[in-house]
Amino acid sequence: MSTPRRTPPTWRIAVASLAATLLLAACGGNGGSSGSGDSSDQASEEIIIGTTNEPTSFQRNVGGSSGISETTTRNVYEGLTSIDDAGEVINTLAESYDVSDDGLTYTFNIRPNVTFHDGTALTSKDAAWSISEAIGPESKSARASDLRVIEAVETPDDSTLVLTLSHRSHSLPFFLASVTIVKDGDKENTSENGTGPYQLEEWVQGDHLTLVRNEEYWGEPAKNPGVTFQFFTDETALNNALLTDAVDLVIQQESPDQLSQFENNPDYQVTDGNSIKKWVWTFNNKQEPFTDVRVRQALYTAIDRDAIREAVWGDYGVVIGSMPPVTEPWYDATFADIHAYDPAAARDLLKEAGATDLSFDITYVAGGTQEIIVQQITSDLADVGVTLNPVPIDDSTWYEKVYTNKDYETTLMDHNNPRDVLWYANPDFYWQYDNPEVQELKVASDEAGTDEEQTESIHELSKIIATEAPSAWLFQAPQIRIARAGVSGYSADKVAEPFYVANIVKSE
Amino acid sequence: MRSRWLASTFFVAKKVASLVVSLFIASIVIFLLLRLLPGDSSGTSLGVGTTQDQLEQLRRELGTDQPLFTQYWQWLGDLVTGRSESFVSRKPFGELIGHRLTITVPLSLAAFALSVLISTPIGIIAATRRKSPIGLMVSGFSQVGLAVPVFWVGIILVWVFALNLGWLPAGNFPRQGWANPEAAMRALVLPVVTIAIAMSATMVRFIRSAVIDVLEADYMRTARALGYSRTQALLRHGLRNATVPVIAIFGIELGTSLLGAVVIENVFALPGLGQLLLTSVDARDLPVVQNLVMALTTVVLILNTAVDLIQRAIDPRLQETRGRGHSAGGAS
Repeated sequence: MSTPRRTPPTWRIAVASLAATLLLAACGGNGGSSGSGDSSDQASEEIIIGTTNEPTSFQRNVGGSSGISETTTRNVYEGLTSIDDAGEVINTLAESYDVSDDGLTYTFNIRPNVTFHDGTALTSKDAAWSISEAIGPESKSARASDLRVIEAVETPDDSTLVLTLSHRSHSLPFFLASVTIVKDGDKENTSENGTGPYQLEEWVQGDHLTLVRNEEYWGEPAKNPGVTFQFFTDETALNNALLTDAVDLVIQQESPDQLSQFENNPDYQVTDGNSIKKWVWTFNNKQEPFTDVRVRQALYTAIDRDAIREAVWGDYGVVIGSMPPVTEPWYDATFADIHAYDPAAARDLLKEAGATDLSFDITYVAGGTQEIIVQQITSDLADVGVTLNPVPIDDSTWYEKVYTNKDYETTLMDHNNPRDVLWYANPDFYWQYDNPEVQELKVASDEAGTDEEQTESIHELSKIIATEAPSAWLFQAPQIRIARAGVSGYSADKVAEPFYVANIVKSE
Repeated sequence: MRSRWLASTFFVAKKVASLVVSLFIASIVIFLLLRLLPGDSSGTSLGVGTTQDQLEQLRRELGTDQPLFTQYWQWLGDLVTGRSESFVSRKPFGELIGHRLTITVPLSLAAFALSVLISTPIGIIAATRRKSPIGLMVSGFSQVGLAVPVFWVGIILVWVFALNLGWLPAGNFPRQGWANPEAAMRALVLPVVTIAIAMSATMVRFIRSAVIDVLEADYMRTARALGYSRTQALLRHGLRNATVPVIAIFGIELGTSLLGAVVIENVFALPGLGQLLLTSVDARDLPVVQNLVMALTTVVLILNTAVDLIQRAIDPRLQETRGRGHSAGGAS
């Protein structure tokens, strides 16, 4: 037997395994000069875009499908018309169209020499199928009710499509931009049935969606060879990816508190554009005391919207006084002054309406921005003697409780759809605002013969709701995009859902 | 001999039967608990702008308007026959998890292996030298480790090693997956270390107390009296005795490493099972959530059964003294 030693072998075993462990942990860590991502080495010109808005499915005509629209509309799949980056409706798969004098017949001339990504030629039958599906009885598209003004779809020949409407609809070309055209009979978007400047290469759900340039494109070809949308579920992880060069561009920065690390950094460029995202505090207009217009006006007047905007976004964002965002033609900056912040006036108005000791709930989807807004509103209302009780819930519960069952008193939500001001003309919508004058103006805007007439009607509609305050519109969020220095060719504003990528280039 | 073989067979059969019964009960509990959640997938898939009619139509298509009992059998049938598909993407479950398994499985296995490698030697040192400064330090650190949430460890590691030093990526698994093995391994280093650190904190404490139990056992004193050094006595008699409780802990921790992966995938933007679970809960994609939770439950239950069987194989006392319990300091 050897004599006992001071350092036991277990100690040495321990040291050895620890060293092995650390070695294991560091293995692969010598792969390059820096940790600056493998992605940039793969293809020097491929653009990698980070976003949290992943498509949920590639089935057509389900809900608003904002993820599909953002990544693939205009890029992979095209409509008869599109909304360009300036917000104008442009002809796309329709080369031109004629409207009959009564405004009830639209005749589209389908663009010649367009092929799908599998090489098949586009005909009017494909367009007819795609539109019929979107308005059909099984359509679960969020735009179905707007599009159901179309009564009949006919294809006299392969290059002509005739739509017959039940009543005039000046917005039809705008609404048609959301109906992408796929091959006759297809119920899903695939890598074969697009016509756009890119072909869908793959979608790995939860991770990424890759597009490659369509070399046979009928129009001007894309300026980059391909684009990958990399999906994130966590804002911090998305920002980390940008900081470690794993992505080139972030479509929408949602965390104001993380902005500072990019703002004064020459390696990044931050753009501050207009979005179509409106933060809206809505009253249940069918419930006491919100049936009284004075109560709604008083509550709107009691809150300091500019302070709320600043608390959330600092120097960014725009205070609004009605639903339309800055980029829509019927936007009017003076709406914001109709119920300007005035706690004394709010108190008087509440007294006049006999609404004292008010106490009600605000139901909202829990989240950082929402918490800030709710706190601000709560303290503003406390100043005029109103008690607001926060009820945080999750997204799914909101859709069930608030949107579907209308079981709420007031609610906070962000609205992101173009032209959603027209929803105030729908008395069944979750805010349950029923004003015949507003409904007539919506009809008038459809029946309008010119853009000017349409703008005038919707402007008037927006002004009425601004005055009557069925909701309290707080502010329009900024569209903050962050890109690595040298990346260009994207629009700073967001005017519609698609994020058009064909002009993006990067110079190293 | 024959009776012993019979006893073993009986034991295994009993364990497997109890596994099947547990799984059946678990399936009912999982199904019912998820039905208690407010909100449904149809509402979230359709979103703002759609009508009540469209919502009801989608519910009819998905079968969520059916009675609970019908829905339960439908789900169980689909699960067993492999026909289960997502309410939201309408993709088959198998297709949804295929790619994700290649991330979550290596992540949790590597984290488990690393934490065994870290915690075994440290636990032994902490026990053999428990009154020395090193032993006290280990105890203190593992106490802190227990208190710190795992995602926080992840955030700190990302901040130091990815954002500041730039040595490793902040997750971001390569798009080509394991076809690019170097990038895939680099992407997993920080998440593996994160989970391993959190797990080691627990495991060190268990290993430490198992070894202390052994060190204080009578047979160790006897061995010392026979002239063995403490280390020799520990290596010859102690470790095998300490293995029995430690295997039970390893079994539990292997399950924990899977759960750790679920939490940590979000921090590192890894498109694994955990991320799928979170997004599916958000969207109320019930078949996907049910299948995933069921799969995790199955893995944990199988691990427990395996642990029972292994313990029985290692420790003959467990085979003979059925019903009388066992004591670590038995007649070795």
